[in-house]
Order: sequence, then C-alpha cells, then structure tokens
Amino acid sequence: MTGLDRLDLRSKITGNIGAWIAVGVIALVVMAAAPAILTPFQMRVGMSIFFSAGLAVAWGLLGGYAGYYSFGHTAFLGIGAFTGALLSNYLHAVSPLVVFGLSILAAVAVCGVLAALIAYPVLRLRHSYFAIVMLGIAYVAAEVINNFDWFQGSIGIVVPQVVPRGMRPEMFFYYALLAAAAICVVVTALLVSGRVGYALMTIREDEDTAKMLGIATERYKILAFVVSAMLTSLVGVVYAFSIGFITTGAVFRTDFSLNMIVCSLIGGIGTIVGPVFGAIILTVLTQVVLADALSFRLATTGALIVIIVLLAPSGVLGLVRGAAARIRQ
Amino acid sequence: MHVFLQTLLDGLMLGGLYALAASGFSLIFGVMGILNLAHGAFLVLGAYVGLQISQSLSIEPILTLPAVVVVLFAAGALFQRYLVQLTVDRGGLVASLLVTFGVSLIIHDLLAHFYGPGSRTIVSSYAYSRIEFGGLVIGLSRLVPLVVSIVLILALHFMLARSRLGREMRAASQQIVAARLCGINVRRVFALTFGIASAYAGVAGVLVGTVLPFSPNSETYWTISAFVVVVLGGAKSPAGTLLGGLLLGILNTMTAQFISPLFTSTVMFLVLVLMLLVRPQGILGHAAGATR
Repeated sequence: MTGLDRLDLRSKITGNIGAWIAVGVIALVVMAAAPAILTPFQMRVGMSIFFSAGLAVAWGLLGGYAGYYSFGHTAFLGIGAFTGALLSNYLHAVSPLVVFGLSILAAVAVCGVLAALIAYPVLRLRHSYFAIVMLGIAYVAAEVINNFDWFQGSIGIVVPQVVPRGMRPEMFFYYALLAAAAICVVVTALLVSGRVGYALMTIREDEDTAKMLGIATERYKILAFVVSAMLTSLVGVVYAFSIGFITTGAVFRTDFSLNMIVCSLIGGIGTIVGPVFGAIILTVLTQVVLADALSFRLATTGALIVIIVLLAPSGVLGLVRGAAARIRQ
Repeated sequence: MHVFLQTLLDGLMLGGLYALAASGFSLIFGVMGILNLAHGAFLVLGAYVGLQISQSLSIEPILTLPAVVVVLFAAGALFQRYLVQLTVDRGGLVASLLVTFGVSLIIHDLLAHFYGPGSRTIVSSYAYSRIEFGGLVIGLSRLVPLVVSIVLILALHFMLARSRLGREMRAASQQIVAARLCGINVRRVFALTFGIASAYAGVAGVLVGTVLPFSPNSETYWTISAFVVVVLGGAKSPAGTLLGGLLLGILNTMTAQFISPLFTSTVMFLVLVLMLLVRPQGILGHAAGATR
C-alpha cells in the first residue's frame, strides 16, 4: 500500500466521525457496566487490556501518526509512576481521592515538562536513530532512579492506598484504568482528526516534503511527542497506584515499551482503534490462551512481531479492510 | 598518575572487546543499512555455544572458536536469507528493526529456557595469569581478547579493502541495482555479510564470556553498546569500529574508577546522545542519514 492510499483510508475513517463517536460511547458504556457480571480474573484481564490499550494509543500518536517509533516510551511510564508515588507519600493529611488526583496531575505535568525539554534534540534524529536514543533515554532514566537513594528506586516505594472506603480496590482501579485509557483515546482522536493529524501523517510519509509544503514539522512533532509522553505517564501513574508498591524494575520494563509497539502493529499502525484491538488480542493471547507458557512470553511476543510484519504489515485492521473491500467487489 | 595509567590500560583492553562485539553490527549496518537488533543475542548465543562445547569436551575455550564460527555463520546467513531479506523486501528498514528485535526476544527466551536465566562465565586456563610491567598489571584473560580483536578487525579491514568479496560488499552497499548489473550476486553477498557478522559476534561472545559474566539478559546491553561504538566511530569502516570500541572501553573504566561503577551505562548513553546530536556521522565516518 502506498502512502497516498493510506492517507486516503485514514480520511475515510475521520470522515465518518459521528459513527465512531457512537461506537466509542457504546463501548465505554459496555465496559463500565461489565464489572457487574465479570469474575475477578476477567476483571484483571480487563484492567490489563485498558492499561495496554491506553499505552498503545498514546505511543501511536507519535509512532503511528508521525512515524517516530519510540523504543523507550517506558521512560515516561516510569517517571510518571515515580512522580506520583513520591508525591503521594508527602501528602498524607488530605483525603485519598485528592492525593490520587494531585499525584496524577503532578506526574503528567512533570512528564510533559521533561518531554518538552528533550523533544527538540531527540526529534532531530530520524528513524532507527530516534528509536535507539529513546531506548537509551529509558535506560538512563531507570538507572538514575535506581541509583539515587532519594528516589528509592532500588528498594522500592510504597504507594498509599487511595481507594475510597467501601469500594473494592479492583473495582476502583478497573474504572481508573478505563478512564485513563478513554482519556488517551479521546485526546489522541481529537488531536489527529484535525489539522494536527494531517500534519503528522504528512511528516510520516515524507518529512522533507512536509517541510517544503510549509508545515511547521518541528512544532507538530514536539506537540505529538509531549502529548504522547503525558498520556503515557497518566497510564503509568494510575498503574503505580493500582499495584501499590513500585520498584525501578517494575515500571521501567522494556517489555512495556515493546508491548506498546506490538499492540499497534497487531491492530493496525497509524489508527486509533487498531492499537485498542491489538491490546485486546495481545492481552487475551498472553494472559488467557498462553497463561501457562509464562517463560516464553517474550518469545511469543517476538514471534508475533515477526509474523505480523511479514504477513499483515497493516495489522488486523488492514486484514479486515482488505476483506471488506474484496466482498464489496 | 599510576591509577590513571592503569585505568587507561584496562579501558583499552575492555575496548578491544567492545570493538570486536560491534564489528559485525557495523558491517551489517555499513553494507545493508540494517540495524540488526538481534546482534547482541547472536553474541550471547555464541558465548553459550562456546561454553557448551568447552564444558562437554573439556577443552580450552579459545579452541572452541572454529566451531562457534561455523555455527554462528550458518545461523546468521540463514537468518538473513530467510527472514531479514523477506522483511526488507516487504516492509523496508524500519520493519527489519522490528523483526530483528523480535528474533532477539526469541533467542533470549530460548537461552533462558535451556540454560536458565542466571549469569555464567567461561573459565580459561589462563584466567588468573598476569603480566606486570613497570607497576602496571595486565591480566592475560584481558590481553588475549584484545589481541584477537585487533587481529580479527584487521582481517575484516583487509577483506573489505582487498578481497573480491569485500569489493562486492562495498559495491552492493553503494547501489544494489548497479552491483547486480555488474554481475554481482547481491543476495549471496548479503547472506555472506550477515554470516560473517554473526560469526564475529559469536567469537566476541566467547571472548566476552572469558572476561565478564553473561546471561540471556546481556543481549540488550551488547546490542546497545555495539550501537554506541558505531555512533562513536562511525559506520562503514573497521578502523572506526576499533577506535569507537577503544574509546567506549576507556570511557567505561574511567567512569567506574573516577565517578562510580553504578553510572557506566548512564555515561555511555549521555555520550551516545551527545554524539548523535553534535556529530551523527561519528568521529571518523560519513553521515548515515541520521538527521537532516
């Protein structure tokens, strides 16, 4: 598929915006009502799906739309988690929900500022170079948090309990992660459905031409990078509260960075529903179908990448669209 | 002053390993433009093959090198022929980044499954021998890798500069179509490039194993350090790789000695980021399209 075809497909989707809003609202209502009938295990799977989907959509804003594949987005997840955890430990006097809210705001703000600081230099690099430098940044962030005692990265840090009285923790975090994922989807959708989306896609297809056409490539890339980092940290800080105790190793995980990419790839890169489908498929596959083959989890993910890249480079969404097009003919 | 000299010397010897570990990565990148993220996995695979052979036959680790070369050469050539080439044909260079990353994960899990996730070392008979020279200490286990590295990198240099295969590699790296028109079997050249690069990774793996502990998890470290070496020295020339490797070695031992052993990787990455921003073509090499 050439770049132009893909742009065309994209505009068909965004053109049908009312239908997508309806689908989104229905999906949200179903998800919100689901805990009534789900078993605890199924709720855990649901939380995993929201977590992966939120991250994958956040990653996709930069990776899918602008074509800048970050291999180190877990940096923002981890920094967000640690900001939230550290701050919440200083705020014991106030009510738990306020602590939760303030920690989220602080984490998102800190990640936004950090991302804005590094955005200009790292976004000068292209393709593989950008990918590997992001991998390096995640590595450095993890090592700094691990080695300075003040962050308590190596010994771990207890995140205060913020669940309101009378509510089951998994219920609370089910909704918190659902909300975080929904925010990722809505913010990304709002951004890419307009001018910004076209600018980012033009950058992805040909950055030099985009620049020549008068698109302020630098500004759009930085915008996508910063927003993507903030959304990632949002999911990260909610995740930190949901697991209650974090160490460097628990949040700066290469497989998180990897999963963001894999979900996007499986579902269909450069779309919004794609990463969500990808998260559902990957989570169900690794946590339900292959739950017993834990030691081969990475290998499964690796094999999936190879298969998808070789057989279905535009993901499940691409396969569905291809099939639909064939039926119509 | 004495501490400084000793640190410098240790750095040079460690640097020889970094250079050899990166030379295959650099060769693939130079000839085919592919960043092979499975390179570190091939290196660790080589270390395990060497460990397995030297333990089951109870022979000196360095004598396992020919066997390791054969196994890794075959693995690398097949990997290129049946996976990487397909990927590049279908999805371009970014897709090859993903596929090689995926393969590195598969190798990682397989090694962890068969050998366990813990750290291993390869013990050589000369592990504790040392030469003292004017107050400076040179461990033989570190000197041998340095010498082997320099010899192999020189061999790679002459192969690229003088031999028929080297000329074909350089031609294919410049213009695939033109190389084909000149009667070069580019597919064969690419498979051989991957094979040779993986064999180098395997040898580096065995040598690394005699000096440092390794585990399936080490693969990321060696891939990234290879990348840093290539960025420092510039791709496309074995001389650049040697220079980059030695610099990285010195940087690492200096950081460990004068700042803190905890921050060697951090300093390595800061240098990487700075280099990419200031001089993306490396100290010696040419710009490889890293930035505008």
